[in-house]
Amino acid sequence: MPVSLPQIDDRESDVPDQDWETVAATLARYVRARTSRHDLVEDVVQETLARLVQQGRQQKLVSVYALGFRIAANLLVDHHRRDRHYSTETEIDHASDAPLPDRVIAGRQELAALTAALDAMPPLRRDVFIRRRLQGQSCASIARDLALNLKAVEKHITRGLADLHRAVILANDAGNDGR
Amino acid sequence: MTRETQIAEDAALWVNRLDQPAIDTSASRAFDAWMAVDVAHRDKFTDLQALWHSDALIEALRQTVTASATSDLVTPSVTAPPWRKPVVWLTTTACALAATLVMLIPSLSPATYRTGIGNGRSIVLADGSQVALSGNSELRVRVLPWQRVATLVRGEAFFDVAHERWRPFLVRSGDTSVAVLGTAFNVDRQDATRTAVEVYRGAVALDAGQSDNLVLRKGDRARVVDDRITTQAPNPAAGATAAARPDWTAGWFEASDVPLSVLIAKVQRHSAKPIRLRDPALAALPVSGRFRVSNPARALNAIRGAYALDIRYGRSAILIAPSRADQGS
Repeated sequence: MPVSLPQIDDRESDVPDQDWETVAATLARYVRARTSRHDLVEDVVQETLARLVQQGRQQKLVSVYALGFRIAANLLVDHHRRDRHYSTETEIDHASDAPLPDRVIAGRQELAALTAALDAMPPLRRDVFIRRRLQGQSCASIARDLALNLKAVEKHITRGLADLHRAVILANDAGNDGR
Repeated sequence: MTRETQIAEDAALWVNRLDQPAIDTSASRAFDAWMAVDVAHRDKFTDLQALWHSDALIEALRQTVTASATSDLVTPSVTAPPWRKPVVWLTTTACALAATLVMLIPSLSPATYRTGIGNGRSIVLADGSQVALSGNSELRVRVLPWQRVATLVRGEAFFDVAHERWRPFLVRSGDTSVAVLGTAFNVDRQDATRTAVEVYRGAVALDAGQSDNLVLRKGDRARVVDDRITTQAPNPAAGATAAARPDWTAGWFEASDVPLSVLIAKVQRHSAKPIRLRDPALAALPVSGRFRVSNPARALNAIRGAYALDIRYGRSAILIAPSRADQGS
C-alpha cells in the first residue's frame, strides 16, 4: 500500500535533543520481554538506536518511540529467522539457543493464563479482539461488521489487552511464589 | 478508575492505535508526549506492546478460535475456518449482518434516491448531511441511531457530512467502503468493481475489503479497482484554489488515464440516447483530459478528434467505433 512511514516528517533538521538513555532503557525492556536470548538484547537496542539517529539526521522524526519499537520488532524477527535458518542447516545443537527449562515452563504458564483469560472474556470482546489481533482487521472494519461504533471497538480491544496482561502478571507471580 | 488502571488503558489504546499502516503525525507526537510523562507510562506501554507482539498471544488466540469453532459465538465469522480467504469471510459476515438488521428492524428501511439521465439533484438527509447526486445515479441511505450508511448503487455522489462523533457515516460502493471522519468528499462508482474517491475537506478512511484502511485527507484521491487501492496525484484542476466541490457538480469530468468505458458512463448520465461501443475492445482505451460530460455532444466531439473515433448519432443510439482511416482495411 502506498503509504509512507507515518513517523517521518519531510522537514530537514538535526538530530533532535532526545533522552537516548530513557529510549534505550524502554527498548531494552521490550526486547527482553520478546526474546529468551539475553545476549541479543544489547545488540538489538544498540542497532535500533543507531538507525533512529541515522533516520533523525535525514528527516525529523515525528515519533521516536513509534519508530523505535517498529525497528526493534523488525530486528527481532530478522534475528529469529536467521537462528532458525542457521540451526536447520548445520544441525548443531546450540545449548545457549535452546530455551532454558524455566523459560519453557514460564511460556506454558503464560499460554495457559492467556487462554483462560480469553475464555473468561465477554464473547463480544473476545470476538473483537480475535478479529483485530489474529485476523488483522482494522477497527473501522470491525465496527462496520459488528455494527458497533469505533469507540466501542477500541474500548473492547484496550480492556481486552489490559485483562490479558493482568492475567499474565498473576500467573507469573503465582509461578514465582511456588518456587 | 485507579491511576494504574487508567495508565493501562491509555497504554493499550496506544498499542492498538500504533498497529496500523498509517498514523497521522499529530497522533505520533501525542504518543511521544505521553511516553515522556512518566516511567510508569513507558513500562506499561512496553509490556503491553510486547504482549501484543508475542507468539504466546497469537497461539492463545488460535487455540481459542479452534476450541470455540463449534460453540456459541456472537457472530458467525469466527466459526468460519481461519484459513478461508478474509475477503470471502467479510462478505459472508456483512451479508449475515445485513440480513439480521433487516429482520430485526423492518421499520428502519432505507430511503432510496434515484436520478434520471441528465438530472442531478441535491438531497438533505435526516441528520443534516447534504448529498449532491449526479444524473443516472442511485443512492440508498439508512440513518440509524448508531450509524449512518449510504450505498451508492450506481453513479456518482458528492457528500458534505454533518460531523457526529458517535455516529459514523459510511459510504459503500461495491466492496469499497469509505468511513467518514466529518468531511466533504466525492465517490464515483465507475463500474461494478471500480470506484474513485476524492476528499475536499477533512479526512476519510478507505476500506477496499482488505485488512488495511487507507486514510485520505483533503486533496487526496484514490481509485479502487477490484480490491486494489491506488493513490493518485492531487487533482491539478483543484490546484492552488483548492476546489470546495468536485468538477462534475458543474458538469465536468477530469480524466487521467481512465478507460473509455468510464468516461462514456459519465456522459451517459446526461444523454437520453444510449451510447454504445461498436468494438468492445474500445472500452479499455485509456483516455485523459477534461471533458464537459453534461454536454454529451461536446464531450464526444472532444474524444472523436483526440482518439481517432467515429461517432454516429443513430435514431435510437449513439454509436462509437474506431475511425475508418484507422482500421487499415
